[in-house]
Amino acid sequence: MPDILDVIVSRKSIRRYKPDPVPDALVDKVLEAARWAPTGENYQPWRFIVVRDQETRDRIADLARLGSGSRMTAWYCLGHMQERFAGIDDPVKREKVLRFMYSGEVSAFAKDAPVVIAVIGTLMEGSVDVPYDLSAAIENICLEAHSLGLGACWVHGPVASTRDAKKFKEILGIPTGLGQYKVIAYVSIGWPAEQRKHPRPKKPLEELVYWERFGNKERPRRG
Amino acid sequence: MDERDRHYNHLLFRMEQLLYHELSDCASWKTELIGTDFIQTQDIQGSSETEIIDACIARLKAAGLVRDIGYRISGKGILLTLKVAGCPHLLKEKLLRESGIKPYNCLAANMILDQLIEKLGYATTYLADLAVDEDKGECVIRAAIYATPEKIGEVSDWSKE
Repeated sequence: MPDILDVIVSRKSIRRYKPDPVPDALVDKVLEAARWAPTGENYQPWRFIVVRDQETRDRIADLARLGSGSRMTAWYCLGHMQERFAGIDDPVKREKVLRFMYSGEVSAFAKDAPVVIAVIGTLMEGSVDVPYDLSAAIENICLEAHSLGLGACWVHGPVASTRDAKKFKEILGIPTGLGQYKVIAYVSIGWPAEQRKHPRPKKPLEELVYWERFGNKERPRRG
Repeated sequence: MDERDRHYNHLLFRMEQLLYHELSDCASWKTELIGTDFIQTQDIQGSSETEIIDACIARLKAAGLVRDIGYRISGKGILLTLKVAGCPHLLKEKLLRESGIKPYNCLAANMILDQLIEKLGYATTYLADLAVDEDKGECVIRAAIYATPEKIGEVSDWSKE
């Protein structure tokens, strides 16, 4: 069994894409990876809507810009965004990054991604794990896309608020009842047009892992 | 506060506590429609921000859902500050805060923001901050209101407003 850690740690969220189309065969592989994600009691509540149509992707991008931008503009006005990005020393670069965020452009790249996959889950079949199952499927999508040389990005922005989630459903013709389908995110996919710095800073394991009990950072000696 | 109001506050508190536990800081994004059923039955009329907001406040007061709401629009027209006094849900906010959760869902604000969208066609709104003052018996809400998509990204320093 090959170790896939290299695939996992080299994956990046790609937000800029070449216009080149993604062949159906590769999209099928990505969807196949999603299909094999872990799922509670094998319910497989996920459904995937593959969108290539430019007009539809434009509408999703506009919704995403509105969603993320409305929140981040407010966060900037409250000073939260400046605190979050204080680690960028160059003030010009920091302001550029902040503007990218609060303008909503950070989430608006569906218009440039050749493929958008909306990930939704049925709430009508008894699964008690819908959001978790969908998240696992999305992770599989991102990893498989990366392993194929594609770029992908998991985007929550356009469905984060209740109103926006309804608009998103209307764009794609998904039944809008809150007891019918949960829409959790879309994943944009395409050939990467950016080489993002990698790895981005990650918290060290020592900061994240406890041993045997919450709070215990000392690894027990074995043997 | 009578036992009935106390009971309903406890129900709301438990629901919002659970939602926060499940959704963390995006719980407020998911609860934006809570309370809007009332205001949508009230035939709110108006052709400007102030007319809509005034009409909402009048209906909320008439129904006994608040004692008063003062408001101000600033921050390049994006910042709507609401000062809500005499709200029957203040206990809910107090219970949330005591449980370690910053209050995040104001029903009166949800109603006003809803009507800006429904009646004036605002692009979107966002409840950005909710500060509870139990001693004064009032809450101060700061919400972002975007008349058009082009208003997104028009930033200013709200601490100076």
